[in-house]
Amino acid sequence: MKLDQIIATRDKKTVYKTDGLVIKVFNENHPKSDVFNEALNHARVEETGLNIPRVAEVTQTDGKWAIVTEYVEGKTLAQMMEEDPDNLQQYMNRFVDLQLEIHSKSSPLLNKLKDKLNRQINSLAGELDATTRYELHTRLDSMPKHTKVCHGDFNPTNIIIDKAGTAYIIDWAHATQGNASADAANTYLQFSLYDQRLAEIYMNLFCEKSDTAKQYVQQWLPIVAAAQMTKGKESEKAFLMKWIDVFDYQ
Amino acid sequence: MAKKETQTPVPAIIDSVEALQAKMKAMREAQKKFSTYSQEQVDKIFFAAAMAANKQRIPLAKMAVAETGMGVVEDKVIKNHYAAEYIYNKYKTMKTCGVLEEDPAFGIKKVADPIGLVAAVIPTTNPTSTAIFKTLISLKTRNAIIISPHPRAKNCTIEAARIVLDAAVAAGAPEGIIGWIDVPSLELTNEVMKEADIILATGGPGMVKSAYSSGKPALGVGAGNTPVIIDDTADIRMAVNSIIHSKTFDNGMICASEQSVTVLDKVYKQVKDEFIYRGCYFLKSDEIEKVRKTIIINGALNAKIVGQSAYTIAKLAGVDVPEKTKILIGEVESVDISEEFAHEKLSPVLAMYKAKTFEEALEKSEQLIADGGYGHTSSLYINTNEKEKMAEHAARMKTCRILVNTPSSHGGIGDLYNFKLNPSLTLGCGTWGGNSVSENVGPKHLLNIKTVAERRENMLWFRTPEKVYFKKGCMPVALDELGTVMGKKKAFIVTDTFLYKNGYVNPIEQKLDEMGIQHTCFYDVAPDPTLTCAKEGTRQMLNFEPDCIIALGGGSAMDAAKIMWVMYEHPEVNFHDMAMDFIDIRKRIYTFPKMGEKAYFVAIPTSSGTGSEVTPFAIITDEEAGVKYPLADYELLPNMAIVDVDNMMSQPKGLTSASGIDVMTHALEAYASVMATDYTDGMALKAMKNVLNYLPVAYEDGTNLEARQKMADASCMAGMAFANAFLGVCHSMAHKLGAFHHLPHGVANALLLTLVMKYNAEEVPTKMGTFSQYEYPHTLARYVECANFCGIAGKNDQDTLDKFIAAIEDLKEKIGIKKTIAEYGIKEEDFLATLDEMVEQAFDDQCTGANPRYPLMSEIKELYLKAYYGK
Repeated sequence: MKLDQIIATRDKKTVYKTDGLVIKVFNENHPKSDVFNEALNHARVEETGLNIPRVAEVTQTDGKWAIVTEYVEGKTLAQMMEEDPDNLQQYMNRFVDLQLEIHSKSSPLLNKLKDKLNRQINSLAGELDATTRYELHTRLDSMPKHTKVCHGDFNPTNIIIDKAGTAYIIDWAHATQGNASADAANTYLQFSLYDQRLAEIYMNLFCEKSDTAKQYVQQWLPIVAAAQMTKGKESEKAFLMKWIDVFDYQ
Repeated sequence: MAKKETQTPVPAIIDSVEALQAKMKAMREAQKKFSTYSQEQVDKIFFAAAMAANKQRIPLAKMAVAETGMGVVEDKVIKNHYAAEYIYNKYKTMKTCGVLEEDPAFGIKKVADPIGLVAAVIPTTNPTSTAIFKTLISLKTRNAIIISPHPRAKNCTIEAARIVLDAAVAAGAPEGIIGWIDVPSLELTNEVMKEADIILATGGPGMVKSAYSSGKPALGVGAGNTPVIIDDTADIRMAVNSIIHSKTFDNGMICASEQSVTVLDKVYKQVKDEFIYRGCYFLKSDEIEKVRKTIIINGALNAKIVGQSAYTIAKLAGVDVPEKTKILIGEVESVDISEEFAHEKLSPVLAMYKAKTFEEALEKSEQLIADGGYGHTSSLYINTNEKEKMAEHAARMKTCRILVNTPSSHGGIGDLYNFKLNPSLTLGCGTWGGNSVSENVGPKHLLNIKTVAERRENMLWFRTPEKVYFKKGCMPVALDELGTVMGKKKAFIVTDTFLYKNGYVNPIEQKLDEMGIQHTCFYDVAPDPTLTCAKEGTRQMLNFEPDCIIALGGGSAMDAAKIMWVMYEHPEVNFHDMAMDFIDIRKRIYTFPKMGEKAYFVAIPTSSGTGSEVTPFAIITDEEAGVKYPLADYELLPNMAIVDVDNMMSQPKGLTSASGIDVMTHALEAYASVMATDYTDGMALKAMKNVLNYLPVAYEDGTNLEARQKMADASCMAGMAFANAFLGVCHSMAHKLGAFHHLPHGVANALLLTLVMKYNAEEVPTKMGTFSQYEYPHTLARYVECANFCGIAGKNDQDTLDKFIAAIEDLKEKIGIKKTIAEYGIKEEDFLATLDEMVEQAFDDQCTGANPRYPLMSEIKELYLKAYYGK
């Protein structure tokens, strides 16, 4: 494999392109189980019939674990939104439709979103006091338990549209099964972190298309804000804290 | 192999599932001991605990405010004081141990048992007062209680519980009867809720939902969003100041606290001026927006504003208000959940709406309740003479407390502004709020009430016409009363064509003429009288307007006359309703109309037979619908029965035989009935003996006066017996056999009678009849009593029964009754084709209920087959 064309660099991985394939090479110390888990998640989602690039192999290169997937030639939806703001509404429509399509799938062996969120809240012992974690656990515990496929990081940079206009959803590292509104709350949060206007357009559209009450999605916001906090970005902390520090009615 | 240590020592600090389990195990032991305490011991503990909590009200209030950073010390003192004093006062004399009530006459007793281990989730808004409340009501009911405090308020909650525990133990309560989690976590809270016997879950919707999903019964309460309406008839000064008083109480942290005020247009300015005069601040439009974004974040309440003062909240929002501001008021328009001011705010922030009409105010309140306060509390300020508006408000609000002219924080918890609303710090919100109770929670919700019910007998009765006249030649003497005593003016005679044409009515008419009583006669009654016939009779009655009805004839004429009587007195009646079957005539769904208001009913039998002159029964056939209506109610009892043998001398042989054996069946079934009493037994025994001895004579020689007299008396006595004890499955089956195959009623009975007797006499029946007085299957012994009374005795009970049945068979033979259904010319294929339907209908017949053996349909079928084939 020739690894010379880098298409993305992240903290824990480097992504290359070669011969119609994408090679995601993880850092040396990256847990092997995480790599296999990501590949397995991806494979499970493939089996739901969603239009996503296939996993080709899990391999090693220079002693580093790597996941090889099909390459899709095209633009991300994020790029298109930016380049063609006049048609934003239309892109957002497409965006929400794709997310709802994911939510319509089930994959019984995927990890449970609720378990993941509970673990994430627990891991915040340094950031949040016991009372706040208790409130978050209580809130999470009372939310309805569903089994819909959730992307986990559904944002316009993870959608590629090819020349023919076909959409491919990529990056299934965070895929779980759980409550679709939690997934939507996360997407809303991702938008809010850089453009509140897009966030509101998204929220209204999602609630309208999925026939969901806005309050119901909002109930997840303190929880997904806590999950986001586990990424440890100092710049987001004050913003997330404001979302987390709310009071359950008594 | 060493056995595992069963006695785990209880750790001093409860901070893990293992420690908690050990703690709860020890508490269960303590509760077991507590459950044996007397009312006196419990009341002493309740007193000591309430006193101790009351003494510590100020330190506890200070602790709560210091720890949670919310609320007002002075107001928390009141809450603690209230939780101790009002709860004690309300329940000090309440019986919570042992027998609560007893009614020896009805044999019923209510006994209180503790539930066991109560799990209590305590909120941060009222951490000490709720702890005092819940521990006190648990002590009063001999329960153990384990508290799961909120981490934000754990120290003060635990301290309140400790104070109550120490005082209770000092007063004699078992050690450790109150417990708590020292280091709260969701895992431990869930464990407590899973293991306890009941959950008192005061808390937010998340906690309440967890409680309900724990699988244990829960008394949970939820969010409130109390809307207030100020009507234009209200006392504005009182209204506004009550709202301020309530809304500022503990900085608005009571869940029943006012969240919005909807004011009628006419008094809006007056209300606003009063709020301003009393120190409230009306936010300007840009300030409203600032406060909106401060109090609610993503649709949830900002934790930083809960229980803070108006000034603090304004400062957070960047709004400048005087430091002593009591409430921040936002004049807003939308009641939709997207309006931040429409939420529950748990702080001195209030929404104010303007309404043009009372109806508009109601609509707004309804929406606010739907947004976030289903089942909790609503409030109305009004002149209480406005009954209509108040009723409409009460009908429309889906809240479990509807407070009128009352500050809702204080009003909702009860006993402060209304003294019949129970004091409580756990306010049930009904199913609207996902709760199992809709009232203020108290000790009664922590008790299992056992009902001890002893067997009691049904009240029985003996009912018969007020006048039963008998003896040869009694008719004209009896009829004399109609004129001389009762002063009747118009008599309507009902009879059949045969009797009319043969002059049987003449003596009656003569007597009536003699007394100057006008009369007319309807003589179109045919056997199995029809509704058409009864309607025609009724029409004539309505024209004639009699004050007296005289029925002359056999069962058909008397039944038809009874029906005409009903329709004459109550033209509106519905036969479907009147004919509805019942288990117990005193508990039937349909209430029979009152009879006798227009006409006095005289029944004169001409056959010895149905006994209809003294029974509350009548059967009518709706020939168009093909339905038979068997009517039964004591309202149908004739007022006067005249049993004069002179009317019976010319009965033809067939009638004498069929109706005579019917009398025997009445007597035997009434005697075997589960409802038989000594009163009916006497009548039945004498009747059956008369039949056995005199029916053959009357059959052979119709002119034999003595035999005719004895049969007339037998018929009437058997009638009285079954009018009160009812019949059995022989009649059920005979009704259907007669209806399907056109056999005379008496003959149908005769063909089944002895088969049913053998069936009923079974000492090990498949099922016995259900009736409190009917203790065990005893019908064999009952038939033996009948046999003995009739002079028949065998070497044992079974032998006696056999001989009795032989005597009845002999009687049947003497009066020309054939042996089988087949012998009456009913074709086998016709019989078999209708069999299943007959079986089901016979099973469902009104007579089946009194039978001593509850029949299976397969058993009825077998009896029918035996009666058909004779084997």
